[in-house]
Amino acid sequence: METVQFLAMIQAYTGVGIGLIIGLGAAGACIGIGIMCASFLEGAARQPEMIPQLQGKVFLLLGLIDASFIIGVGLAMMFAFANPLLSVVAQ
Amino acid sequence: MDNSNNGLASNHVFSRMLRWQLAATAVVAIIALFISGTHASVSALAGGFPVIMGAFIGSKIAQRSDSKKDASSILVNLLKAEAIKILVVVVVLFITFKVYKQLVPFALIVGLAAAALFSGAAISKLDDDTSQIK
Repeated sequence: METVQFLAMIQAYTGVGIGLIIGLGAAGACIGIGIMCASFLEGAARQPEMIPQLQGKVFLLLGLIDASFIIGVGLAMMFAFANPLLSVVAQ
Repeated sequence: MDNSNNGLASNHVFSRMLRWQLAATAVVAIIALFISGTHASVSALAGGFPVIMGAFIGSKIAQRSDSKKDASSILVNLLKAEAIKILVVVVVLFITFKVYKQLVPFALIVGLAAAALFSGAAISKLDDDTSQIK
């Protein structure tokens, strides 16, 4: 009975952790993308001839800003599908 | 400035980005092969593959705005490309976790992180490329 309770607690806290990983990661990525897109529009308005050069940089930096979120999603999926914390109780 | 080379410039940037991602994933896979064996190596490849595939599809969508000159439409297209990239990554990762039973999660995360972080490494050569294309 105790083992089942431990498993349930681990799964519940893992669920909270997954939500925090994805939620905070998404919030950070959205703030970063918002700031960068605002800077892109400002730069494009000041110097429209720079748009082609800025376009490639914006795409690369979008990927870099989203990298933390994508890594967070990977970690969250690991905890959802192959939770390493459950093996502690199983032993 | 002449905008006729825009497509060529962005194409070069995207291919350089994909090359960096492929190299990073391959290095992680080789290291995982020596440390933990075949399944860890395949897991590292399975971690890098969704990011590379997402970046490839996203770059194809982003390249559609090469002919456009309006900043807002370019931005919308880039955000659309990024959203599709994230969707592809999530779906492929989900399928990988569901299908591959001998998965080594740590190797997958390292492969994923390497591919995701090294996508930005292409920016270091961006200025050289644009000056050469001009």
